[in-house]
Amino acid sequence: MNRKRISDNLKSNKTCSINHSRRSFLLASGSAIILTSIPGLSSPLNAIQQHYPKKFIAFEDKLEQDKPILFRYPHDDIRCTSSLIKLGEQAGGGIGSDKDIVAFNNLCSHMGGVITGIYNSEHKVAGPCPIHLTTYDLTRHGMVVSGHATEALPQIMLEVEHGKIYASSVIGLIFSFHDNQIV
Amino acid sequence: MSKKKMQHNSTDQIPLPPKNAKVFTTACDYCVVACGYKVYRWPVGKIGSVQADKNAFGEKFPTAIMQGCWVSPNQHNVVSVNGEPYHIAVVADKDSKVVNVGGDHSIRGGTIAQKTFNPNTPTKDRLKYPMMRVNDKLVRISWDDALDIMAEISQYVIDKHGKSSWAMKMYSYQYWENTHALTKLALREIETPAWAVHDQPTGHGPDTPGMSDAGIDNFSASYEDWSLADVLFISGSDPFETKTIIYNEWILKGIRENGMKVISVVPRKTTGVAYNETKGGMYLEITPGTDAILHYALARIIVDNGWEDKEFVDKWINNRTERDKEVFHADGFDDFKQWILNYKYANLELASEITDIPKEKILQAAELIAKPKADGSRVKTSFGFEKGLYWSNNYVGTASYTALGLICGAGNRPGQVISRFGGHQRGMMPGGQYPEQDAPEKFPGWRKQGIDLDRWVEDGRARFTWVIGTTWTHAMTASNHLMKVLEKLTRGNPYQLTSNDKNEAIKMFKQRVDNGGMMLVNQDIYPVTPIGTLYADIVLPAATWGEEDFTRANGERRIRLYSKFYDAPGEALPDWKIAAKFAQKMGFSGFDWKNSAEVFEDAAYYNKGRRTSYLALVEYAKAHGKTGHEILRELGTEGIQAPVRWEEGKLVGTKRLHDDTLKEGTSYGLTEIKPEWLRKFKTKTGRANLLKAPWELFSDYWEFMKPQGNELWVTTGRINEFWQSGFDDQMRRPYLKQRWPDNWLEIHPEDAKARGIESGDKIMAWSDRIPVEVGGYSNSKADLKVRGITPLQASVTIEEPDNLEQMLSSNQSDLGISAESQGHGFQEEPDLLEQFVTHDDMGYATEQDSSETSDQGMLLENGEEDQVMKGIESAIGLKWKDVLPMTFSEMLKNGYVEMDSASFEAVAIVTDAVKKGVTFTYFNLPSAKGATNSLAGRILDPVSQRPRFKLARGEIKKIGESPYKHKLTEMSFKPRTVMTNIKT
Repeated sequence: MNRKRISDNLKSNKTCSINHSRRSFLLASGSAIILTSIPGLSSPLNAIQQHYPKKFIAFEDKLEQDKPILFRYPHDDIRCTSSLIKLGEQAGGGIGSDKDIVAFNNLCSHMGGVITGIYNSEHKVAGPCPIHLTTYDLTRHGMVVSGHATEALPQIMLEVEHGKIYASSVIGLIFSFHDNQIV
Repeated sequence: MSKKKMQHNSTDQIPLPPKNAKVFTTACDYCVVACGYKVYRWPVGKIGSVQADKNAFGEKFPTAIMQGCWVSPNQHNVVSVNGEPYHIAVVADKDSKVVNVGGDHSIRGGTIAQKTFNPNTPTKDRLKYPMMRVNDKLVRISWDDALDIMAEISQYVIDKHGKSSWAMKMYSYQYWENTHALTKLALREIETPAWAVHDQPTGHGPDTPGMSDAGIDNFSASYEDWSLADVLFISGSDPFETKTIIYNEWILKGIRENGMKVISVVPRKTTGVAYNETKGGMYLEITPGTDAILHYALARIIVDNGWEDKEFVDKWINNRTERDKEVFHADGFDDFKQWILNYKYANLELASEITDIPKEKILQAAELIAKPKADGSRVKTSFGFEKGLYWSNNYVGTASYTALGLICGAGNRPGQVISRFGGHQRGMMPGGQYPEQDAPEKFPGWRKQGIDLDRWVEDGRARFTWVIGTTWTHAMTASNHLMKVLEKLTRGNPYQLTSNDKNEAIKMFKQRVDNGGMMLVNQDIYPVTPIGTLYADIVLPAATWGEEDFTRANGERRIRLYSKFYDAPGEALPDWKIAAKFAQKMGFSGFDWKNSAEVFEDAAYYNKGRRTSYLALVEYAKAHGKTGHEILRELGTEGIQAPVRWEEGKLVGTKRLHDDTLKEGTSYGLTEIKPEWLRKFKTKTGRANLLKAPWELFSDYWEFMKPQGNELWVTTGRINEFWQSGFDDQMRRPYLKQRWPDNWLEIHPEDAKARGIESGDKIMAWSDRIPVEVGGYSNSKADLKVRGITPLQASVTIEEPDNLEQMLSSNQSDLGISAESQGHGFQEEPDLLEQFVTHDDMGYATEQDSSETSDQGMLLENGEEDQVMKGIESAIGLKWKDVLPMTFSEMLKNGYVEMDSASFEAVAIVTDAVKKGVTFTYFNLPSAKGATNSLAGRILDPVSQRPRFKLARGEIKKIGESPYKHKLTEMSFKPRTVMTNIKT
């Protein structure tokens, strides 16, 4: 699998005994690291984008705005339940002609609450999580709007080919995993 | 820090701790709640794996949904332990049954692993070595040289200019071992009255004096109490935002399990307020600073309808005044009732007009908090408050709030409490008493006053000043005035170092202090701008959380050990050790502690009577051959609630104060910990006092601070994502920096539209009429007249030796105020001196005082008695003319207030979450390009000498667009009050 790194400003790139160790750890999975940036973003996002086998999700022209489509990615595992939404508003990592189609994992990255179906179409916000009320901005890579999550909502990165939308990679560690690649 | 932009690196894997990872217990460093955390530490190169028996959590990864065990990438870091690299995972304790039950955590504590020093992260600029400013650059020097120079200059300053010219400004909260050592040095050994903590200009007295005068400890409640009420009346805070886990684990529990209704009195709707509203609560959108008026109106509705808790009032309210103790006391409930029924500002119409809360809402709130149910039983109401209330209108706000709570039957029972939620953790453990006898001011009939350290320094009275762990120039009492003076006294002085030679430095600093300048030392963990980076002569590096074993209590008096688990950077030392080394250089004894555990035990004896008393724990530990720290380590994240008692052979915590349901056992140990206030209120009789604190003590200042013309209120506060001045989070935590890359200001859509402002625009807020108190320390008769102050030190220029002698009694001090500075504007005013001579030596008015002072000031021009004034005088127990000189208007008239100017920048967020006419900004971020706090007036409460820094106003204009207006990777402008799918 191909691991892309989307910036050259990583703390592990500096040399020193401590950081060298951390870098070793990061390299331990054996993935290749490529410096690149995600096309279509208005500014580069500094994130590790891990690629997985592509999975077909939906036809672009069949999507209804603000109607989430559920799927599992990168693994066929309940914890990998994700929502694809056409927001009707340009979004970070958004694809399609309006750059407004995005997808996110459905486990709150605070304590793993399930936020499936909790989506505010007026503001393009996911949540509040039914447990402790965390909300996420789906136009800003799943950034916390309000609440307690210590990571953004993991974003499922999409590709569109001939009108078909595929999930192809993931940014961010999914709740309950210590490594998205190990189920 | 590199100039390269700090960016968040989102990763998708973390290393798991192996089964044999070492586990340390600690608590979060930030808000008052102090959630319990565990630190897993293991050497780099040894990694656990996903099988349950191969990692330290004993869980299979990925873990089951809702199982609660996860380490997010922000909870992992790499640190140095004895020079070797170790992984750490810092995670909330999922086994916790107290505070953060089940491992709940805030976004702040949840990312605290990023606080630890790692030279490859934005923490790399931690201070590592002592430094001295030579040729205007900070250069490294040795600890010995730094402390030798400081000790030499300190001794010189004390000998030549008096001990009050040796000043210390320090945090009040950063661990007991540190505060004990620092205050032992400043207050017990040096005995300087020029000492103040980070958020106050004066060194002593209660933060919430209306609570203490009523007899209620402001941290009497237990967290469970916030889940046990039927109705919770919150003022000046949304705990969701700033003490997250009180909300998440306790208030939410009350709402969801007990149907608790929450009333929020704030000018801004945040997440918690919005959620509470969906569950039967209320949002009382109040005009800043007017809480007292709301309290009066609610109290009047309650007593008018007879909804007061009669049983409680009969049993627990003092039935006559404790006049010898405080001046605002009602003479029992009936007296309070008469007062509130007749008091102008308790009128519903007027209250609605001033607070801008509709009458119906005030009536509805009164019914919710006090109206008995149909069967005659009462609702259980609790009262919780914070700084929006008490840093707006300190005395009157807290006194009226407490009175409202008491008549509703709250104050000392499960689910019926009156308490602060808290800001910082409770980290003050004094090592000496504030030498109030040496402070130069005393007001008639009120408390004695400590030195206002800002004004003291501004007046050029301090020659050596040591600033520890606070930004000061940008913190709560921020003023441009102070900043300019600090610069003038240090870098602006002609005596500057050109070599790092110790003897040269000593010689030069002596010349500087004799030339009216000041030597400034800044002790912190990071370079602080401007006080450390631009002004300080010596900068000392401190060790902090995780770098030393520390202790402290949270907002329910729960004591925990905050374990050391890694090396402090460079030569950084914990503050207690720096204080001890310095004290030894000064020749003081009692500072030869070998470790922080010894400081902890020393401090126990000195503070056995405090609400955080833990002497029993120390005695218990000794009897079992252990240290107090070792016992706390065994108690882990649960710790124990103070006061700690040793009963029936066991250590017992105290859940709630003033609680007569408390069952005490037989005391063990050498020292019995059994204060009266465990089961009663903190008064002579054990009953609480109702206070009649009138709006008039505050109204002139509020009228002045009210926005005029094109101005808007500019309130400041915290936000969920940050703690402090941004040094750990906004400046050095990429994940949070991505969310809030800059300072911001929330503004109502109508106010924004009128100024052509859209979300994402860059704005400037400014004011050139910010009132700042100045002068008053020249010790002249002029000061006597206009400030109403009695100077306590002997003065050659004051010519009433007989009167003075009576006042002074044993309170002579050796304050070295020089004769040259005195006597300007000298005026004869014998009457004003007379009024002090009959005060008792506690500084309070006596009965005789009130009856014998002339009626001047109460008469109208036509010679008739002014009934309004009479009413006020009856409420405060003093003659209005005694009070008048300390009111804002009189001080302004008499030249004791100057108008300062200040500005700051922010990114606009247009939202109806703020009340129209009100804006909100963070209280202290360097990216504001100016201190947001400096728009607040620096005029102290005349009764309590506490600041009112939530009251600020200014003009606001667009100055451009921020890069975030169109960026999709940084900053979100979405409302924080989205409540999708919440069932009401």
